[in-house]
Amino acid sequence: MRNLLEPYYLLPDMPGISIAIWVATSMLFLFFAREPMHKLILVFSDSTAGGLRKMATWIKKSADKMREKDRKVLLESGLAKVQGEILQEFHKIDTANTKALAGYPELQLKLDESISRIDDDFQVCGQVTPEAPGWSDVVETIARAQGSSGDRIIEKMLGEIHKSAISGEKKALAELREVAGKRHKILGSMAPVWKRIEKLGKEINSKVDKVMENSRNMDKYMKQYEKLSGSGVESIDMLASKMTKLFIISLIVIFVGLVGAFVNFNLIALPMSELVPAGTRVMGLAVSEVSALVIVALELMLGIFLFEAVGVTHTFPQIANMTLGKRRVILYGAFFGLLFLSLVEASLAILREHLAEAKTALDLSLAGESATMADTIDSNITVIGQAMLGFVLPWILAVIAIPLEMFIEASQHAFAKFYTLFITLVCHLANVVAYIIEGFFKILIHVFDIYIIVPLQIYKMFKGKPLGAS
Amino acid sequence: MRKIIKYFLVAVSVSSMIAACTDSKEYETSYCTLVDISGTYSAEKKGVVNIVKAGILPKMIPGDSLFFVKIDSNSYSEENLVTKLTLDYRPTQANNQKLILSKKLDKFGKGKAKSRMTDISGAMMLCSDYLKATRSGTQVIFIFSDMREELPAGVVRKFADDEFAGIDIAAMNVIKLKKDSANPEVYRKRMRKWDQLFTSSGANSWTTLLDATKIEEFIYGVK
Repeated sequence: MRNLLEPYYLLPDMPGISIAIWVATSMLFLFFAREPMHKLILVFSDSTAGGLRKMATWIKKSADKMREKDRKVLLESGLAKVQGEILQEFHKIDTANTKALAGYPELQLKLDESISRIDDDFQVCGQVTPEAPGWSDVVETIARAQGSSGDRIIEKMLGEIHKSAISGEKKALAELREVAGKRHKILGSMAPVWKRIEKLGKEINSKVDKVMENSRNMDKYMKQYEKLSGSGVESIDMLASKMTKLFIISLIVIFVGLVGAFVNFNLIALPMSELVPAGTRVMGLAVSEVSALVIVALELMLGIFLFEAVGVTHTFPQIANMTLGKRRVILYGAFFGLLFLSLVEASLAILREHLAEAKTALDLSLAGESATMADTIDSNITVIGQAMLGFVLPWILAVIAIPLEMFIEASQHAFAKFYTLFITLVCHLANVVAYIIEGFFKILIHVFDIYIIVPLQIYKMFKGKPLGAS
Repeated sequence: MRKIIKYFLVAVSVSSMIAACTDSKEYETSYCTLVDISGTYSAEKKGVVNIVKAGILPKMIPGDSLFFVKIDSNSYSEENLVTKLTLDYRPTQANNQKLILSKKLDKFGKGKAKSRMTDISGAMMLCSDYLKATRSGTQVIFIFSDMREELPAGVVRKFADDEFAGIDIAAMNVIKLKKDSANPEVYRKRMRKWDQLFTSSGANSWTTLLDATKIEEFIYGVK
């Protein structure tokens, strides 16, 4: 240390004084250079911490933009979903109404028929007028008049009139009974018509109830739609929560499906080497393995088309917009394609088992041993099991189309959320680092001033006030 | 501009796909088995054949190759190649090939071929030539011998610096001679000499396997 400083000693014999002179000179120099030095330190602070702060601001804006975009996407997708549900409900109402109205003319006809029958019966009842009663009074009056005149001729006439009055009364009574009987009969035949009208009334009630129920559902969906249209924080939170839940569930199901695909791949990779023997490799995989992967991918693809054609998923709008006939063609194509592939896989699984058996037998023979009976029995069970697995796995793989659609739908929000979280974290980190750097440069300014404290105090003594900060 | 980017991406994708299609040689393994038929070791032939059949053949997969070379007085000769095999990519064909080879090995094991001198280096050089010709990703030499070399007069053997580059060498079933039993240092010194010779000629590794059951572990280790 001493050797290093020695060339700079102004008085080589007095190192202490030499150092003191150097310190005093540097103090004086730095005192005069205080302002530019402060500016230099501040420029350093601005260029580093300021840059970081600007970066943090930019990141924050970017995160906000991403949040806003995600919010819009969530709202749009939520609205589209509710709109879809409303449309579906409208379709239901339309179907129900069409069905109900299609039966309505017949119902009306039946009702009119029943009413006209009742009306006819009523008319008939009105038309059959009974003979006016009063015969008994006439008979009694004539009976009383008999014997009061004393004239035989008159008495005889009265007797005859009395007789014909009695017979007229009898006839009138008989006619009255007959008419009353007819009326009762007509009224009796009206009872089933009333019951029929009552039944028709109930039918109308049930149809009206159904339409009312659909209307209530409509109300519910409309309320949801209005709530979402309002773009409230609650509705966004609800949609975000739903999407996150959907993302996690679909991710788990897809993971399980991928494990199934892996099992499927391993089941057919070995027998495929028997069918597609080649020395070429694609990205480290043998051609037979690539072929097996292609089969698995085809199964997944056919599954997507199958569910798309059925209308369970809506990944491809082109398919959804197709006519029913065209969709049916795709449906049958995908179904028979899957059936064919599952049969191929089942046969490959059987071939695999045979190959494994042959290898075991060969290894045993090379080792100088022979296979036992127990192995043969076991192998039959394994063959059946593997064949069944080979047949079933493609159908299970095909079902992945449903969670795949859910995953695609939810992943946009999930990735946006992860990205926003990540860049927000980076923003906070940049702010923290900027704060630390600013603090460091502030301390540096204070240290600088402490070093030149002596000239600063002298300046204060002469001027009567401290030197202002830069 | 968009079109240019699109065409560029398509070109990159196609070229990377073509580049991704590689020859499967680097994923294959070639084995060369040397069997000493000189002196007392000639009695071990049958045992060696059994080890090869039970230990090495079952571990071979479609595409792998095997060279079976005998060590006699002058081993650097094509005549010393007893049999060779490259397995078909179809498993059933590969199984048939293994069966045929096993019969050939059985025939060799029962044979009475015997030599007076032991040219281990010549057989190693022959093996190295065959293995390099296969261009396999993994190359292995198994030596079944007492590892005591006796060259006839006029036979010169000198390994090139890269003679065994990329090859893993394992000595198997090394039986001890009377001198080795009397003084183990003789045996150890002999093995050290081989170790130095092989490693200085570029061998990946040099191992002595005392047990046939370790073959599988060794093969998985070098692959």
